[in-house]
Amino acid sequence: MSIEVPVKTAGMTQPDSAAAPKEAPHPVAMQVKGLNFYYGTSHALHDISLDFPERSVTGMIGPSGCGKSTLLRVLNRMYDLYPGQRATGEVIFDKQNILNSGVDLNVLRSRIGMVFQKPTPFPMSIYDNIAFGIRLHERVSRSEMDGRVEDALRRVALWPEVQDRLSASATALSGGQQQRLCIARTIAVRPEVILLDEPTSALDPVSTARIEELLDELKTEFTIAIVTHNMQQAARCADQVAFFYMGRLIEVDSTARMFTTPREQQTQDYITGRFG
Amino acid sequence: MEIPARQSLPAMKKAPSQQGGQKGDPAFRLLVTATGVGVLVVLGAIIAVMVSGGWKAFSTFGPGFLVSAVWNPVTQHFGAAAPVFGTVISSALALLVAVPLAFGTAFWLTALAPPSAAAVIGMAVQLLAAVPSIIFGMWGFFVVVPVVAHYVQPAARQLLGHVPGLSALVAGAPFGTGLFTAALILAVMITPSITAVMRDVFLSMPTVLRESGYGLGATRWEVMRHVVLPWSRQGVVGGIVLGMGRAMGETMAVTFVIGDSNHIGWSLFAPANTIASLIALEFPESPAGSLKLAALMALGAILMAISFVTLWFSRWLLARGEQAAGR
Repeated sequence: MSIEVPVKTAGMTQPDSAAAPKEAPHPVAMQVKGLNFYYGTSHALHDISLDFPERSVTGMIGPSGCGKSTLLRVLNRMYDLYPGQRATGEVIFDKQNILNSGVDLNVLRSRIGMVFQKPTPFPMSIYDNIAFGIRLHERVSRSEMDGRVEDALRRVALWPEVQDRLSASATALSGGQQQRLCIARTIAVRPEVILLDEPTSALDPVSTARIEELLDELKTEFTIAIVTHNMQQAARCADQVAFFYMGRLIEVDSTARMFTTPREQQTQDYITGRFG
Repeated sequence: MEIPARQSLPAMKKAPSQQGGQKGDPAFRLLVTATGVGVLVVLGAIIAVMVSGGWKAFSTFGPGFLVSAVWNPVTQHFGAAAPVFGTVISSALALLVAVPLAFGTAFWLTALAPPSAAAVIGMAVQLLAAVPSIIFGMWGFFVVVPVVAHYVQPAARQLLGHVPGLSALVAGAPFGTGLFTAALILAVMITPSITAVMRDVFLSMPTVLRESGYGLGATRWEVMRHVVLPWSRQGVVGGIVLGMGRAMGETMAVTFVIGDSNHIGWSLFAPANTIASLIALEFPESPAGSLKLAALMALGAILMAISFVTLWFSRWLLARGEQAAGR
């Protein structure tokens, strides 16, 4: 599968461009503008504005209950399943405000995938876990489906481990394998954005490292937003980091600046472990 | 550098807190073992009583007892076929109506209903499941039977009476009592309990699993069909078996509306009988030691056997389904 990368950078033509992409301004894939969110009468997000650059990782950090997971659930309208939860403001994705009532949520969620805190394999075979999402949106032949399933499993480096037992139940896999399966399931649908809600908090360090490596590869193709409690993880994986506190976006900056010279005192306190 | 072996470790194995409760332990163990074994004893005793009580009928009529539809106390001829037929058909028809209704209600309650409505209706479902069967019997006798006699059967005859092959299903005088009415009452009785079980298993599914389905862009029905149902299959089948057990054993409500006729026929509207209602009706007129009493006991044994076979069959179905799913 060929990947077109329409990254507009001034340094692209120069010979030393290999060092440039880190600082290159990516176009914005998703733009949150003046977002407020309510659980019933409780005001959970206050006037959030945040850009998610294309093909890069945005890390979202902050203490429990700061609203970072809530924001993630706004981005694919997951909150819509629950009456009483509502959002105002704008989330621009593909020139459209996805908070509008006319948006087709099933299409939207196929373009903006989500991976959860705990691995959530469906009670079906490994193969069907991947094929399920594809079948929802496309009609593909058996051989093409085999290819898509293999491709998705290869990209999360799960293929060598499961290729002999694709028809075995996914629930028999280890936690780390299950989580990679869930990522494979998400990318198999070919989304543009992937939302990850603390994807490694239930995993051991080795599995965590593998998922982090994986994110590095996936960001060449997908826009990624990851919520994490782990400051090192944010530092390792993210290109830009957003710090949330009590429902407000305190600060957002490139990862390097955020962890070395944050502008706000609260950010400084949080990342140095003084609270949170 | 060598690390010296720690001598104190084995001594630490017995935690002091464990020793305090050890006196009560054997007594409690005995108690729970006794209750566990007690289950087996009671089950064995019931089977023994039913089979030995019915032995006279089994030995007098032989295998013919199972296939004969004759029930004639005057000539002392008894056969089990008619009530068995009535039991199986009325329960099967009831399930046919109740399962889709229960599934639809549970699906609506768990996936679509606004929370306030779901709470109220969920409560109503549980209350309905707790209504005593005699109430359903009276309601069936005073309300459903006249309605079936005056409206349903005439309408069914108009609709199907001239269709070859189907006309037999609606034949007979419009009494209002019979298999159809019994099945209808049974369906109303078992739908709430099946719904309650299904709703509980659907709700017990982890929210994230459900959201994972939606997260891939699945619709509510797709999530129900491919995620919730496979996950809760065991509970759903359990609920259905529970409903079937209640339908087959139901006595009072059915006795009111079945029509008490030991007769096997095609017509859904003809009076029939079930094992439970036949036993209830005939038991008071069966002297001890009589062949009739033995026949009734034998019927009871058959009813138990049918229940056991259904239970075993549903387990087998589940096990096979899990093998197919690769578990």
